[in-house]
Amino acid sequence: MDQFLQALINGIMLGGFYGVMVLGFSVIWGVMGVINLAHGEFVMVGAYITWVLNKQFGWDPFWALIVVIPIMFVLGYVLQHILINRLVERPHLISLLVTFGLSIIIANIVKLVYTASPRVTDTALKGFWRVGGVTFPITKTYILLAALIIMVALYLFLQHTRMGKSIRAAAQNKEAARMVGIEIGKVYALTFGICIALTGAAGMLISPTQAIFPFMGPPLTLKAFAITAMSGLGSIPGALLGGIVLGLVEIFIGTYVPGVGTNLGVVSSFVLLVVVLVTRPQGLFGGLKPATEVQ
Amino acid sequence: MLRPLVNIWQRYRLGRWGLLLLVLFLFLLPLPQFIAPERKLVTNSLLFSFTQMFMLVTLASNWNLTGGFTGYVDFGHAVFFGLGAYGTGVLMNKLGWPFWPAMLIGAVLAAVFALLIGWATLRLKGPYFSIAMLGTFVAMREVIRVLKPITGGGEGLTLPPYLNRPLFYYLTLILAVLVVSLIAWIRRTEFGASLIAIREDEVGAEMRGINTTLHKITAFWIAAFLTGLVGGMWAYQNTFIDPDVVFFESRTVELVMMTMLGGLGTVAGPVIGAATIYWLRDVVWANFLQYHLIVQGLLLILIVLFMPEGILGTLGDRSATSLNRIVRKWFGLTRNGTEGV
Repeated sequence: MDQFLQALINGIMLGGFYGVMVLGFSVIWGVMGVINLAHGEFVMVGAYITWVLNKQFGWDPFWALIVVIPIMFVLGYVLQHILINRLVERPHLISLLVTFGLSIIIANIVKLVYTASPRVTDTALKGFWRVGGVTFPITKTYILLAALIIMVALYLFLQHTRMGKSIRAAAQNKEAARMVGIEIGKVYALTFGICIALTGAAGMLISPTQAIFPFMGPPLTLKAFAITAMSGLGSIPGALLGGIVLGLVEIFIGTYVPGVGTNLGVVSSFVLLVVVLVTRPQGLFGGLKPATEVQ
Repeated sequence: MLRPLVNIWQRYRLGRWGLLLLVLFLFLLPLPQFIAPERKLVTNSLLFSFTQMFMLVTLASNWNLTGGFTGYVDFGHAVFFGLGAYGTGVLMNKLGWPFWPAMLIGAVLAAVFALLIGWATLRLKGPYFSIAMLGTFVAMREVIRVLKPITGGGEGLTLPPYLNRPLFYYLTLILAVLVVSLIAWIRRTEFGASLIAIREDEVGAEMRGINTTLHKITAFWIAAFLTGLVGGMWAYQNTFIDPDVVFFESRTVELVMMTMLGGLGTVAGPVIGAATIYWLRDVVWANFLQYHLIVQGLLLILIVLFMPEGILGTLGDRSATSLNRIVRKWFGLTRNGTEGV
């Protein structure tokens, strides 16, 4: 029973990270119609910025968020102007191929600069709380907390600010949004910047608990895709729920199938993806719009 | 004296690209005979380069069968390469089989896997198929890593070394020629026409009585089988395989890039694209190895954005398929999800 509870807790904590990680991917897809295959690489870049701040300046990873978010926002904003702008409102195949190329470029630049060896950041928030037979790793608890704060902040931003409302409007109907005077170009740049900032923040969240290395991106992108297909585009509760489902599946496989560790996480997310796509193409929860409607 | 030859050529409509390929083939066939240590031009390493290029030509042509003809853009085609390599490697290393049957069984393994996975994923449309195949690829790498007792896990497998450059040269050259001819032939059959029909209008093809699922799966497993053969040859030539070398992300990217550069959905396109990119890489940026993949990524972006019709399309070959046609199939004429125009 304790083992079961422990797996449950670990799964939910992992799910919190996945929830934040997937948001950027699903909002970009929902608003701009761009499937960003370089998503995992942006997580990786965020993690590396955190690592540099942690090792060279001695910052705690959680404080690094203050720097990671603006840097990643600027990166996203600039990339949107140089490259992504050419992809919006064009077919998915083009955005898939171009962002695939982008992912290779980013991963190899990071490899060139920081070599391929795996890195970990240190945080002061470590240790365990014990409740009964179950342990709560302190780092992961704070990660979950930070993830929830980020998600609530994004939710409030999208629901209650003018900018957030214009982003949602652009997602629902571009033409109508244009007609009421929303500058779609600005909305796109803003959306991409914010989403990349979120993604970078997810990179910070992953850095204290998992090794970071230049080629960690593709499995993360794949998981983001699987969760988005489950949860629908741009849905924040859906992203959290989908993330938790994937986290639970991964941890339970790691706990109860002997000798595989978490290596099969990608496999499980892939199986989940195909099962969901074949059986429930409209997604499990519904978001800005169902994933399959956007083709 | 040339007249009868020309007549045959015209009768079978082999075209100028076919002629070019034939000349190239006749030129390349006797190359290993000229190897001599004192000659600078034809060396073992030149043979090796050609061998690699023939493999890429074959792989790009296979990819083109599903990606170009049928319009199902496969981001995980290297999974079949990996299965072929591992099938061959495991049989030779663990069971001590000779090369030929091991390679064949490796390719059969790839084809069977394609049947199974295609049965599920070929029902998905557009980006969903692409990503599902990317997932298959990444997942298979992990599976190979986990199955340590059979595959050697992350440490990899060693194959009995066999350094016979001319043999691999002939083998890959002949395979490349056979595959390109096979695909040229398929293009002319009813089967090939059906594949194109699926690309252009899948629902329409189905209404015309084409069993689309069967056609797609058939094309898929043929491509997988041929790619598996190349994987087996590559493994034997390389004498060492591990999950990261064999299931290398850029393997698929290369194929997509080469096919697109040459001309998606044409017979000659993948050949031209593979040859161009291989020599560009070998000659131009072999000296900057650490930038190799960065340049490759940049090149992919540039081709997609500025030359979506490929070399053949740019030269005005009307059989060249623009990316836009495939795109039209998947996404209609509407722009990314806004309903109707």
